[in-house]
Amino acid sequence: MNVDSVWDDAEAAAAVLGVLGWQLGGVNLRCFPGPIRDTWLARIESLMPTTPLRRIPGFTHESRLLGGIDLAATLKSGSPIAERGLLAECHGQIAVVSMAERLERSTVAHLSRTLDTGSLTSHREGLSIEARAQFAIIALDEGLDDEAPHPALTDRLGINLDLSPLSIHDVGEPIYSERDVVRARDQLTTVRCSEEQAQHIVQLCDALGIFSNRAMILAVRICRALAALRDDHQINDDDIRGAMRLCLIPRATQLPQQTADLDAPTPPEPPPEESQANNVPEQPETSTKQPPVEEIIEAIIAELPPGLLAALQAKSNAQRRRSSVAGKSGQRRRDHQRGRPLGHVRGDHRRGGKLDLVATLRQAIPWQTIRKQSLGRQMDSTVVITASDLCIKRFKQRRQSATIFAVDVSGSAALQRLAEAKGAVELLLADCYVRRDEVAVITFRGHAAALLLPPTRSLVRAKRAIAGVAGGGGTPLAAGLESIYNLHCLLERQGVTPHYVLLTDGAANVARSGETGRDVGTEDALTAAAVLRDCGATGIVIDTAQRPQQRARTLSETLEATYVALPKASAQALSQTIRANQAYAS
Amino acid sequence: MGAVYPFTAIIGQESMKQALILAAVDPHIGGVLVFGERGTGKSTSIRALASTLPRINVVANCRYQCDPEGPRLGLCGQCSDNKGTVKAKRQALPVVDLPLGATEDRVVGALDIERALHHGEKVFEPGLLAAANRGFLYVDEVNLLEDHIVDTLLDVAASGENLVEREGLSIRHPARFVLVGSGNPEEGELRPQLLDRFGLSVDVKTPKDVATRVDIILARDEFDRDPEAFERRWRRKENALRRRIELARGRLDDIDMPAEILELAASLCITLGTDGLRGELTLIRAARATAALNGRDSASIADLKAVAPMVLRHRLRRDPLDESSSDVRVERAIEALFNQEPV
Repeated sequence: MNVDSVWDDAEAAAAVLGVLGWQLGGVNLRCFPGPIRDTWLARIESLMPTTPLRRIPGFTHESRLLGGIDLAATLKSGSPIAERGLLAECHGQIAVVSMAERLERSTVAHLSRTLDTGSLTSHREGLSIEARAQFAIIALDEGLDDEAPHPALTDRLGINLDLSPLSIHDVGEPIYSERDVVRARDQLTTVRCSEEQAQHIVQLCDALGIFSNRAMILAVRICRALAALRDDHQINDDDIRGAMRLCLIPRATQLPQQTADLDAPTPPEPPPEESQANNVPEQPETSTKQPPVEEIIEAIIAELPPGLLAALQAKSNAQRRRSSVAGKSGQRRRDHQRGRPLGHVRGDHRRGGKLDLVATLRQAIPWQTIRKQSLGRQMDSTVVITASDLCIKRFKQRRQSATIFAVDVSGSAALQRLAEAKGAVELLLADCYVRRDEVAVITFRGHAAALLLPPTRSLVRAKRAIAGVAGGGGTPLAAGLESIYNLHCLLERQGVTPHYVLLTDGAANVARSGETGRDVGTEDALTAAAVLRDCGATGIVIDTAQRPQQRARTLSETLEATYVALPKASAQALSQTIRANQAYAS
Repeated sequence: MGAVYPFTAIIGQESMKQALILAAVDPHIGGVLVFGERGTGKSTSIRALASTLPRINVVANCRYQCDPEGPRLGLCGQCSDNKGTVKAKRQALPVVDLPLGATEDRVVGALDIERALHHGEKVFEPGLLAAANRGFLYVDEVNLLEDHIVDTLLDVAASGENLVEREGLSIRHPARFVLVGSGNPEEGELRPQLLDRFGLSVDVKTPKDVATRVDIILARDEFDRDPEAFERRWRRKENALRRRIELARGRLDDIDMPAEILELAASLCITLGTDGLRGELTLIRAARATAALNGRDSASIADLKAVAPMVLRHRLRRDPLDESSSDVRVERAIEALFNQEPV
């Protein structure tokens, strides 16, 4: 696929958005801010001059998003006055959410709910608000490699558009006009999706490993919009292909098998045995008039842009990985919500605290005489309260903790006791479950460390991740320590207290540069250990060597970490060590 | 509000639909937990259920939808005092959607700030729990809800009564509702002690066979093109289901529960080692509701067998790291137990 067709897709996406509106859910636009993005957004405006684009900043607070009490007006009038939320104001418009990859989890939840129901209900601050809120969302995704909007949101957005490979010279002439869009909108309900075509789409989804019903339903809607744009009442193969590019391929979780040699300049023909494999389970329940599966697979292959596919796969992995991280960064603010009471503080309760009514009245009482005089009129309320009197409650809350497991799965460790190390990690995981800790898993071997599992509470995933680890290769201890360091800093920033558990035999033999050799490896490892220690990380080193040796002990001394040798460590002792260590740290 | 996709038109997901209907028949079953991947129709089904539920009689002007014929004990203070001349009205069974951002004061109710500031009166303003009395309370993404709100919800759901002790108020009012929670297990788990409070639990998966998925696409396509016509087409079925639920609700008390079923339920729970007695009680209630729904006078072993997985799967003492699904364990126990019994 060349870049021209990417821009053609972008044009089609804009027109489909115009035709379907809120029915599409919206568009996830992956593109850095710049002329291309501006051009695309301008194209939408020109296609739908009557539908304004409404910007929603990424960090809009909940009270503004959903609406709530209008504090100034309420205090003035003495009776609650509601303020319309941003989401309700977006009704009939298109909401443009910037920095979608950084949205908080709760914002994502509100957006998804609104997309689902087309209405907004909120119960806050003594007010119940119900409003229509049907709108499409353009999520501006400015993420780097790993960052992407939360899957709960992207799953609901019909189109996933990646314009980042384009340059401004690739931008073409408009393909559709406003007239096309208006006409297509009228015609939309007359376009039908035949059973055969529905089957076609289901098989596409199967081949790409998409199992969300929502994706299929959105794909059908896009097909109908494309057909309507062509001024036709029937969906044809081109429409399905278009929907596949816009909607399905970006969601792919698996590739049709033949893509192994994807780097070949021309897409290879599907090997017969593969299509056979795909064919077998489907044949019995589908009718005979279905299009041959080979054709579908072929169609997919033809649409797959060679390099992009690997990237897409990486992206979907990244989305899966991020899912548990997003929305955790509000940790510190939440201590306005719960925990041990800690007095009150002046402030506006709309920023997430609870109003301390007694304290508020206490603030207001001394000023009553003056206020009533200065207002110069007879107030019928007993107490005159201004916004500056408001107090919110404060709570003290223990920070959540997370345990980072860093497992040495190099050849030396694997040969000796990888299985035992895995067993030990599982025991520790059970302990984390009791404490409601988050866990993350890092493994290192060969030349690099990998974040196998980002911080999550799902211990089953953690266990699965660890069970699937294969061992072998050199011991890049420095890289492992560095990746503990990175994750440690990330968690600290999110308001979580991290601890690490490092399982290694300490026999470093790969330096950070990738150079092999015991001396450089050890030297680099000790440097990395010093960095980790200096950032205040606490943890334990579990020596997995067959016979405990000085190497791991030296490492733990540099780290100022607790040292435990695995042979002696019974299950109990291990988890007790960790517990004691964390109690000490917090 | 846009048109709502009809409940009866939802394709597949039989166990989820069954669980929701059972909870509608007997609210004492104690709520439904729906866990599953994205895009499996969790929210669609639960929101669709709202329009299928039967209508109920309520006391006019009561803020808690009290039952005019209900026993005095379960009524709010006002209604239990002025018995005698009650004006009743008919209204839809409430289905209250608890949004993720709801604050605690809106959920449990709070001091009416307007009256407090304006007139210096201490008046209680009922919250969502009051609005959901006798109906359904739906929490989407229940695993993401703040822990203290979930605790409150479960506590109230179990006791059927909301006790408010805040801002100088001391109020209690009835709050019997069916708690329906949904969520995506990838994003976090519920604490085991909370899991146990839900009566039924279902795990929804995306249908993987082509025929079902094609049907889903076609039905949804039809709905998209003309929601009103689609609704009209399904109205008969919707009404039939509503009638069935209504009938089942009426005859619930007359269902006979043979001793062998009780025994079987108990031994099933013992085999699986569930904690407490909630498992047995819910098993029996769910079996009774199934019998009522199918128009029979007496619960049978088949009824028990049908509901056992959704009643028990979340109550097993679970090794958090054990991946073998609890469904399998329940099924194995059922097989072992029921094959011994002469059926």
